[in-house]
Amino acid sequence: MSTERARSARAVRAIVHSPQAGLLLVLIGLGVVLSIAAGSHADPITGARTNNFLNAHTLIQMATDASGFAIMGVGATIVIISGGIDLSVGAVYALAGVVMAMLLRAVGPLDPALTVLLGLGTCLAVSLVCGLANGAMVIGLGVHPFIITLGTMWMLRGLAFVASRAESILVPGALTGVAKSSLGLGASLYPVPLVAMLAVTALGSVYLTRTVMGRHIFAVGGNPEASRFAGLRVSRVQLGVFVLSSLTAGIAAFLGASFYGSATSSDANGYELYVIASAVVGGASLSGGKGNAISALLGALLIVMIRQAIRTLHLDQNYEWIIIGGAMILAVVFDQRGTKWLTGRMARGDGRATRAADPTTRP
Amino acid sequence: MSASALSCQGITKYFPGVVALDAVTMHVGAGTVHAICGENGAGKSTLGRILAGIHQPDAGEMFVDDRAARFASPRDALAAGIAMVHQELAFCDNLTVAENLCLGALPSRRGFLRRDEMRRRATEMLSAIGAVSLDPRRLIGSLSVAEQQLVQIAAAVGSGARIIIFDEPTSSLGSVESTRLFALIADLRARGVTMLYVSHRMAEIFELSDAITVLRDGRHVRTCATHDTDEQRVVHDMIGRSVEQYFPAHLAAAPGEAVLEVRRLSSPGRFHDVAFTLRRGEVLGLAGLVGAGRSEIAQAIFGLDPRAIGSISVRGEPVRIGTPREAMRLGIALVPEDRKRQGLVLAMRGRENVSLPTLPALSRWSWIDRQRERASVLEHTGSLRLSESAMELPAFALSGGNQQKLVMARWLAAHSDVLLLDEPTRGVDVGAKAELHAWIDREAASGKGVLLISSELPELLSLSTRIIVLRDGRVAGELARAGATQERLVRLMAGLAA
Repeated sequence: MSTERARSARAVRAIVHSPQAGLLLVLIGLGVVLSIAAGSHADPITGARTNNFLNAHTLIQMATDASGFAIMGVGATIVIISGGIDLSVGAVYALAGVVMAMLLRAVGPLDPALTVLLGLGTCLAVSLVCGLANGAMVIGLGVHPFIITLGTMWMLRGLAFVASRAESILVPGALTGVAKSSLGLGASLYPVPLVAMLAVTALGSVYLTRTVMGRHIFAVGGNPEASRFAGLRVSRVQLGVFVLSSLTAGIAAFLGASFYGSATSSDANGYELYVIASAVVGGASLSGGKGNAISALLGALLIVMIRQAIRTLHLDQNYEWIIIGGAMILAVVFDQRGTKWLTGRMARGDGRATRAADPTTRP
Repeated sequence: MSASALSCQGITKYFPGVVALDAVTMHVGAGTVHAICGENGAGKSTLGRILAGIHQPDAGEMFVDDRAARFASPRDALAAGIAMVHQELAFCDNLTVAENLCLGALPSRRGFLRRDEMRRRATEMLSAIGAVSLDPRRLIGSLSVAEQQLVQIAAAVGSGARIIIFDEPTSSLGSVESTRLFALIADLRARGVTMLYVSHRMAEIFELSDAITVLRDGRHVRTCATHDTDEQRVVHDMIGRSVEQYFPAHLAAAPGEAVLEVRRLSSPGRFHDVAFTLRRGEVLGLAGLVGAGRSEIAQAIFGLDPRAIGSISVRGEPVRIGTPREAMRLGIALVPEDRKRQGLVLAMRGRENVSLPTLPALSRWSWIDRQRERASVLEHTGSLRLSESAMELPAFALSGGNQQKLVMARWLAAHSDVLLLDEPTRGVDVGAKAELHAWIDREAASGKGVLLISSELPELLSLSTRIIVLRDGRVAGELARAGATQERLVRLMAGLAA
């Protein structure tokens, strides 16, 4: 009993001290406020009262809305940690979706499993090529990634536009079947985007914290010069991050096009900014060397939740952009101040202890 | 005792995780040069910064001319007559000397800059400190460190500062430039300017100061008149114990086989036709003025200079080294001169910095084996007396000495046997310096070849088996340990007849 309590106390402490604590608190706080303010309605069939915000349908809908840029947010976080930026992900998304839809239309009906594999493979292949192109240009031309990816953002979307002749192209039902499968939950609940989002975040998080490549990304973002002096192949790391960022756009494109049943060249328009906002709200530093995948997910969720709040609270939808923009600045300021305040308190509280424990080299 | 120009009472300052200053009380006599010394991390720079209004104290009071003063910004301090000459020079590199000097109050007419007026004021400020040869139209970025420092001093004096704080002013100056600075400080004192001189270089402190305050671990240890104390006592106060003189152990055995042979190594505009042989078990000193090509040679050997030509052999085998990675594979290590810029990723933990180049060997299928990583790091930081808890702190939270040890431990872990050490003890406190010296000696005694680049001649003379002197990118001469003296080194470095 007491060990159990100790264990849960330890778990609570781990969460409170984690870098995600502040953001998590904001999310929960906003969720509580929305649940209370939303009111409830009677289910027309069962007659049970259902909260207008806190119900499975709304929550999964929010996760679905967030999944696209949460998945790409993991890629953006990786690029941003390395000290770069990738503005082309929205365009990669559109191009991958369009190419997949055109290819599947061209080959005609296939076995469902084969269709899904071919679709996913196409999205990944297209995004891989885009990522390689971004990375190769950043390294080879020595131009800032902001400029390179700004250029490829327009070029790739233009390519999608020309290739698709601006049509909306339907994708085979087999894909939609997978993306909209209920996974044992009730009908009209579609948890696949949610699951994919969690899986990509978990993979990204493990990649960044537990693998050699992940560590190298932090090193290059923190100090490229020192990384070079430590024998790291800096340009290979830079190439890698753009490939990964593009691949997350490919995954998001596959899910998005499958879920909604079609792909057009205007898909994910402006997503790059949502994606970067997610990473930054999640605490990634644009100067490199800092950030984590889980926080990027929370950042994406926060943005979606603010959008949802506007609907749930019946605020004027015309103010959506103003509210999101303001909230994003607030979130980042709050995060930075909160961290400063916390470390300041810790310094005052444990200053003496820390100094005693500090690397004293004296015998 | 003269009236105090500046005093502080119970100044306390916290930084994340540390108490930088703990109730420091100090009085600075008007018109004196007051040295503040202490090891790195003792809080001496922080004290200077608080007095200059850059940091605000969490507790305590300050008095200027016995009137209570409170500075919210460097501007406030400047208004009270206090200016600081920084360790990290704080100017806009992309602007000219004149623009920087007038930045606080740019002369203008109806919103348009008056460039002639700006230049006139700048010239006036520069000539007030005798820097007449400095052209105010040059960009700050094109100036040498010494010249930038002159501009800072000109700015301080020109703004009417009566109290100037110097923060480690000689840390990036050569000996000639330092001498010039000391003359300027003496001149300023004669004009009645009060100066705080933050440093841990004993020779300078005793040459310049009227009084010395020693800080240790953020606390005030002692203030006394310079003529009432001596170096031994100040060093003892700084580190809380006395340091023994050191005789290198690696000299006991004769150097072994050649581990690194460099022939006809040249890089256009940097160094020419350099040749030397480094043997196992020896410390080969590399002396020269700033710009003589010492660091450049080390970097070329480490594969960082794509334009370098010549031949290099490692353990008797001719090799081609195009990248640091290849150098690493051959067992060559470089501890670069600027550890913050080239040595460490400051935001990463100590452990992560140490394991950075060896990570692939500590992982399987790219998956980092954290236990092996910890064990490897511990194994190689132990001999450097780095504590385990320090390894989990971000590198920026460690003292200069411990940061330097991280870079050294990194190359121990990589099993390097050619150590290229570029200014390994720069900006390191006295206690850590002695440890680093002992470490260098131990590594050489264990059969590694050490190339030691240093601007501190006593360090070179006490550690080296022999010393090569560079001048203008060429080998100017070589001195055996027995015949090497500070004077002969300086003569060779400066190109004077021996």
